[in-house]
Amino acid sequence: MQKNQKPLGIYVHVPFCVHKCAYCDFYSVTDMELMREYTSAVVAHIRSKKKFLKNALVETIYFGGGTPSLLPVAQLERILNAIYSTAAVAPNAEITLEANPGTLTSKNLSAYKKMGINRLSIGLQSADDEELSALSRIHTRAEFENSFMLARMEGFDNINVDLIYALPKQTKAKLFSNIDYVISMNPEHISLYGLTIEPETPFGKNKEILSAIPDEDEQYEMYMSACKRLEECGYFQYEISNFAKKDCGCKHNLKYWMNKEYISFGPAAASFVENTEYTYARDIELYLSNLKNEKAIRQPDEETGETEHVLDEEELETRFVMLHFRLRAGINTGEYQQKFGLSFEKIYEDKLEKYMKDKFIVRTEHGFRLTRRGMLISNTILSDILEF
Amino acid sequence: MTRQEKIRNFSIIAHIDHGKSTLADRILEKTQSIATRDMEDQILDNMDIERERGITIKARAVKLNYKASDGETYEFNLIDTPGHVDFNYEVSRSLSACEGALLVVDATQGIEAQTLANTYLALDENLEIIPVVNKIDLPSANIEGVRKEIEDVIGIPADGCPAVSAKTGLNIEDILEKIVTDIPAHEGDENAPLKCLIFDSYYDSYRGVVIYVRVAEGKLRAGQTIRLMNTGATFETVEVGYMSAFGLVPAKELSAGEVGYITASIKSVADTQVGDTVTNDENPTAEPFPGFHAAQPMVYAGIYPADGAKYPDLRDALEKLRLNDAALTFEPETSIALGFGFRCGFLGLLHMEIIAERLEREFNLDLVTTAPSVIYKLTMRNGEVIYIDNPANYPDPEQIAKAEEPVVKASIIVPTDYVGGIMDLCRDRRGDYKNMTYIDKTRVELHYILPLNEIIYDFFDALKSRSKGYASLDYELDGYSESKLVKLEVLLNGEVVDALSFIVHADKAYSRGRKIVEKLRDNIPRQLFEVPVQAAIGGRVIARETVRAMRKDVLAKCYGGDITRKKKLLEKQKEGKKRMRKLGSVEVPPETFMAVLKLDEE
Repeated sequence: MQKNQKPLGIYVHVPFCVHKCAYCDFYSVTDMELMREYTSAVVAHIRSKKKFLKNALVETIYFGGGTPSLLPVAQLERILNAIYSTAAVAPNAEITLEANPGTLTSKNLSAYKKMGINRLSIGLQSADDEELSALSRIHTRAEFENSFMLARMEGFDNINVDLIYALPKQTKAKLFSNIDYVISMNPEHISLYGLTIEPETPFGKNKEILSAIPDEDEQYEMYMSACKRLEECGYFQYEISNFAKKDCGCKHNLKYWMNKEYISFGPAAASFVENTEYTYARDIELYLSNLKNEKAIRQPDEETGETEHVLDEEELETRFVMLHFRLRAGINTGEYQQKFGLSFEKIYEDKLEKYMKDKFIVRTEHGFRLTRRGMLISNTILSDILEF
Repeated sequence: MTRQEKIRNFSIIAHIDHGKSTLADRILEKTQSIATRDMEDQILDNMDIERERGITIKARAVKLNYKASDGETYEFNLIDTPGHVDFNYEVSRSLSACEGALLVVDATQGIEAQTLANTYLALDENLEIIPVVNKIDLPSANIEGVRKEIEDVIGIPADGCPAVSAKTGLNIEDILEKIVTDIPAHEGDENAPLKCLIFDSYYDSYRGVVIYVRVAEGKLRAGQTIRLMNTGATFETVEVGYMSAFGLVPAKELSAGEVGYITASIKSVADTQVGDTVTNDENPTAEPFPGFHAAQPMVYAGIYPADGAKYPDLRDALEKLRLNDAALTFEPETSIALGFGFRCGFLGLLHMEIIAERLEREFNLDLVTTAPSVIYKLTMRNGEVIYIDNPANYPDPEQIAKAEEPVVKASIIVPTDYVGGIMDLCRDRRGDYKNMTYIDKTRVELHYILPLNEIIYDFFDALKSRSKGYASLDYELDGYSESKLVKLEVLLNGEVVDALSFIVHADKAYSRGRKIVEKLRDNIPRQLFEVPVQAAIGGRVIARETVRAMRKDVLAKCYGGDITRKKKLLEKQKEGKKRMRKLGSVEVPPETFMAVLKLDEE
C-alpha cells in the first residue's frame, strides 16, 4: 500500500430485473432500454469522484442488484474499466458479481473471469421448484445446477449461494433438504436469510401468504438447527446470516459490518465515507438526469429517498455497536476503547449483565458477542442497549 | 303583535341518524341565515368528533328570522339537543328552554327507542310537539305508516303532519309554517325580576365562559350583577347578545322570551351548570327553576398517560376540558402498574370515549384507560356504607355484609324477528325481564332491568349485531340492587396487576377470567422469558395462559444500503419501548389495556 492510500470498498447497484420477485423490496426496474444510459451515468459518476478515488486503495468491488448478470458484458466492462482507470485497485481485490441462475452462460462467465471478477453470488433461494415458483423466481433448480457447474468449469473458485428459510408452508424437513442440496454442491460460502416480509411487497399484502409463514417458534427451530448443520459441514457462521469455509468470508460485506469505508454508485446505493452516510435517490430517471447535468450529488431530499448525514460521535458509536454485534467475532473492547476512548464494559455494564445472565451475550477473548439465540433477537437487544 | 308574540323557541328531537342535524341545516338555509354555498354540512355540530360520529354532544342554539306567509317576520330560536342517553339531563334542560319541539321520525325506520325517550322528556316539559316524517325521498319511505305509528304509539295527532326530505330540502316550508302556527309564543313578564334558565355553556379562551340562556321573565343587560341561584355565585355581566349562525352578536338587552348568551368573565363552566337559574342579584326572582341537579358521573375509569412523564400534561388537559364540561370529574390516583394518573367520572361510556378521544386528539396525549367501573354500594359488617368506584379499593369480602350494584331501566325496540336473540342477550347480561309491548305488528318494545355494569362495555354493539342493526336502546338509572359480586384479579408473571382487576358478578367470574387471560396472551408481546398470565379470585387461580418467550426479532440482511434503515428501525423500536408500561418485569403496550377493555366483543 502506498502512503496515504485509504482502503476502500466499492459497491455498484445494478437496478435491472427481468421482473420483480413477490417478496423483494430492493430497488429495481424492468426497463432494459435504460441499460446503456445507466452505464454511461455510472461511469460519469465514478469519474466525478476522481479526487476522492485517487487516494484510495480499492480492496473490494461488489456488483449488487437488481440482477447485475443481466447487464451486457461490454457494459459491465466499461464500469470496471472506469474504476480501474480512476482508482488504484489492489492486486488481490475481491470482485463479486451477483447473478441469477439461468443468466449465466460459459460465454459471459469467461468474460467475467477475464475482466477480473473473481467471486460470484448466486441467488438460488430454494432448491425446490415449487417454492421457487411461489417466490416468483425465474429459475429452476436444474438451471441453478447448470449455472453453478459452468462457473466451476470457467474457474470460479469463490462462489456464494443464497438460501431463504421460513418460506410460506416451509417445513423444517424441506429446509433441510434445501440446505443439504446446497452443501452437496460444495460452494465456498452460503448465505441463509430468514424471509423478511416487507409490507409494501405483494407478499406483504397477501394474507394467505402471511398466514402460511412458519411461526416464531418454528423459525427459531429452523434457524438453530440449520446453523448447526452448516457448521458441522465446515461452514463457519461468521455473521447472523452468513456461513463460509475457512478464509472465504465475503471481504466486501465484512467492510459493512466492520464499519469500514465504502463508496457506492447507482440509484438507491449507499455510501459511508468520512463519517458520512449518503444514499442516492431510489429513482433511476432522476439518477440519470442528475448525472447528465453533472450534478452527481443533489441536495438531500426526503421524497426521492436521497439522504446525506454526517454522523456525530454518538452516532458513530451506535453504528459501531450495531454492526459489530452482527458478527460472530462481536465487539473488540480494545478497538472500541481506541475508537471512542471509553470502556465498553463500563458503559453497558447493566445491560451486559442482564443479557449475559440468560446467555444472549457471552464474553470472548477480546470482548463480547451475541450467542446464536442472542443474534436471533438482536433487534430487541440492540434497541434496548443503544441510545439514539 | 308584540315582540314576544313573534318569538318561537323550539328544539329538534329524534332518534340517532333520523336526520336531526340535516334538518337543522336545512332550516338555517331556508331562513337564509346562511347562504347555501357557505353551508358546511351540519353547522350546529361544531366539534370534529361530533361531525365524525354524526352525533351531537353539546347543545347549541341559533337565532333565525323567518318571514311567514302571514307577512310577519318571526324570531325563531332553534336549540339543538344532544342525542345520546348519556346526556339525558342536558336534553331535558334544553327542552325546558323551549315551547315546542319538532319530533323527527325516519320514514323508513319508524319510531325507535330514543324517539320515545325524547318524546317523553318533551312531554314532561309540556312542549307542543310537531311530528315530522323525514327521509321521504328514500324509496322505502312509508309516510302514512309512520304517521299512524306516531298516533298509535305516542298518541299525538300526526295526520297531515309535515313529510319532508331534509336531505333534498323538500317541504321544509311546511315545517316553518307549522312552527309559526302551532308552537305558542313564550309568556313571561318583561317587568318581573330577571329569571333565566341556563341550558348550555362553554369556555372560550378570550371571553371566559359563555352562558346560553333563555330569559323567562324580566330583562337582561350588560353591566348587571347576576346571581346563579343554585351555586350562589355572583358575576357582573360583560356582554349579552344572540347566537347567529355565524357567531355571537352583542345586543343591548335580552327580554322575556328571548334566547341568548351572557359573558361575565367566568373562569369555569363548573360555576354555570346547566339547569341553574340566573337572576338579578339585587332584585332576585322568588322562585328558581325546579329540577336542577349537578351532573352525576355514572361510570368511572382510570386514565393514565402512556408516557409517565406526561402526567402534568394530562392534568392540564383534563383541567382545560373541565372548563367546558361540568360533568367530567377527576381525582389523582396511583396505580402500581400504571404510575400516576387520574380516576375520572363520566356520564356514560360515550362520554368517556369522547373525553379520551379529545385528550388524545386535541392535546396529543397517548393514554392508557382502565376498564370502566360503575359505583358499587357496599354495606360493611360494622354497618358502615361505602361506595366503591375503583376495583383496586374493593375491600376484603369477609368484611362485606351486603353488596349492591346500580341497575338501569332499559327499553329496547326491536323487530319481532330478533326478539329471541335480544332476550338471550339480556338474559346473558343478567337482565330482569319486565314486560313486552307491541308497537305494531312487526316491532315490540322490551322492558328490562339490567345491571349498569353489564351495559357499559359493549351492550349496544351486541344489541346491534344481534338485530342486524335494527334494535334501539334507551335507559335510565333505577337505583341499586343486591348482587353477588367478586373482585377478579389478574396476575402477570405471578404479580397482581391492579390496573387490570375488576369487579364482576360471581356467576360470570370464570368465563370473564378465561376470556381476559386469553386476550392478554394474544395481546402481550413476547418477552425475553415465558410469562404466565393468571386470573384469580381471592388468591385462587381460576384461569391460566402463557405468553411464550420471544425467539426471533432480527433483521436478516444488513448491507450497505440497509444500515440507515436498520438504525431507524431500532430507533422506532426503542421509541415503542418507551410507551410500554412495566408491570413487574413484564413490558406491556398501552393497547393491551384497551384490548382487555373490549373483552365482550365476541
